[in-house]
Amino acid sequence: MSIQDKNNLFLAVIERHKGILYKVANSYCKGDEDRKDLIQEIVFQLWKSFEKYDETHQYSTWIYRIALNVAISFYRKESTRTKILNPLSEGIFNLSDSPSFDEKESNLTTLQQFIAELKDLDKALMLLYLEEKSYKEMAEIMGLSESNVATKIARIKLKLKEKFSQLKNY
Amino acid sequence: MEEIEIINLWKAYDQKLSENLSFSKENAIEITKLKAQSLLSSMKPTKIFTILVGIIWVSFVNWLILTFYNVANPFFLISAAIQSLLSMLAIGAYIYQYILIQQIDVSEPIVKTQEKIATLKSSTLWVTRSLFLQLPVWTTFYWNKSMLENGNLFLLIFQGIITTVTIFAAIWLFLNIKYENKDKKWFKILFSGKEWDPLMASMEMLEQIKEYK
Repeated sequence: MSIQDKNNLFLAVIERHKGILYKVANSYCKGDEDRKDLIQEIVFQLWKSFEKYDETHQYSTWIYRIALNVAISFYRKESTRTKILNPLSEGIFNLSDSPSFDEKESNLTTLQQFIAELKDLDKALMLLYLEEKSYKEMAEIMGLSESNVATKIARIKLKLKEKFSQLKNY
Repeated sequence: MEEIEIINLWKAYDQKLSENLSFSKENAIEITKLKAQSLLSSMKPTKIFTILVGIIWVSFVNWLILTFYNVANPFFLISAAIQSLLSMLAIGAYIYQYILIQQIDVSEPIVKTQEKIATLKSSTLWVTRSLFLQLPVWTTFYWNKSMLENGNLFLLIFQGIITTVTIFAAIWLFLNIKYENKDKKWFKILFSGKEWDPLMASMEMLEQIKEYK
């Protein structure tokens, strides 16, 4: 594969999975600037690993692993790699308009708040659950057994249910 | 809210995102032109400064030992040698730990990768423990034969107490600064402050990983 082909393939993969990157960054970063930096860092790490991409896995599995690993490490504020990258005035992804959800909006805010309050690993699992990944895929991404994934998901779902029922009672 | 409603809510969010999220190809191309950074440029300036000061300090102490080896009193030589050795070990371990963190493969499963990173980061505790071990030599390097033979008894007793206390403190801290004590009050006081945040966060991550196993 020529360098040009490789670049084009990489850009196509990123574009196709832009939603994953945005949602991961949005779940681990509060501010716009941090989110923009995190997306840049994830794309940079994806590019660095692109040559080693193992075709036995789906692109989404590979992207989730890298995006979540970078997000968790980035969130812990140890790395300054992004700041050293050339500062891009605009982000790689730009949200043209804030999505409006009318009556659903408050529920979505509650859900995002719930995700934000979760511990890093639970947060990763919750995102995969919401994306309707199978237990097998979740286990592959997380590096856990399927039964372990099922137990953890059940616990998180219970917490989520409690959160929504508490809100309903208010 | 039922499970299906939550999933549908997320799907609606996903749909809205894919409609509103534009992809800047130009900026993504810029990323592909970036080269992997050198180890040095990936470090925070404060870290580089700390390591540099450490290396300069150790070089200075080693220079003093070598230059005044024949004339300096043995208390100074032994104290300085212990101090230098422990500092060299700490600097070496710190750099080695940093290199290992940079080499971690982020495309591996999350729990495995995070465990590696958190274990390496929390090994900063080992560096801190070894640095505490040098505490007593700061109370002995100025001792000399004449002071011990002709010194004021009260000052000698005071000196003895200080040295004994620092020896016990150094050994106690060396033995007790460990992950298992992270919830103790003294540990939290000792490791409070922003510079220790990554270490505390790593320990929190190890705790999460333990729950996952």
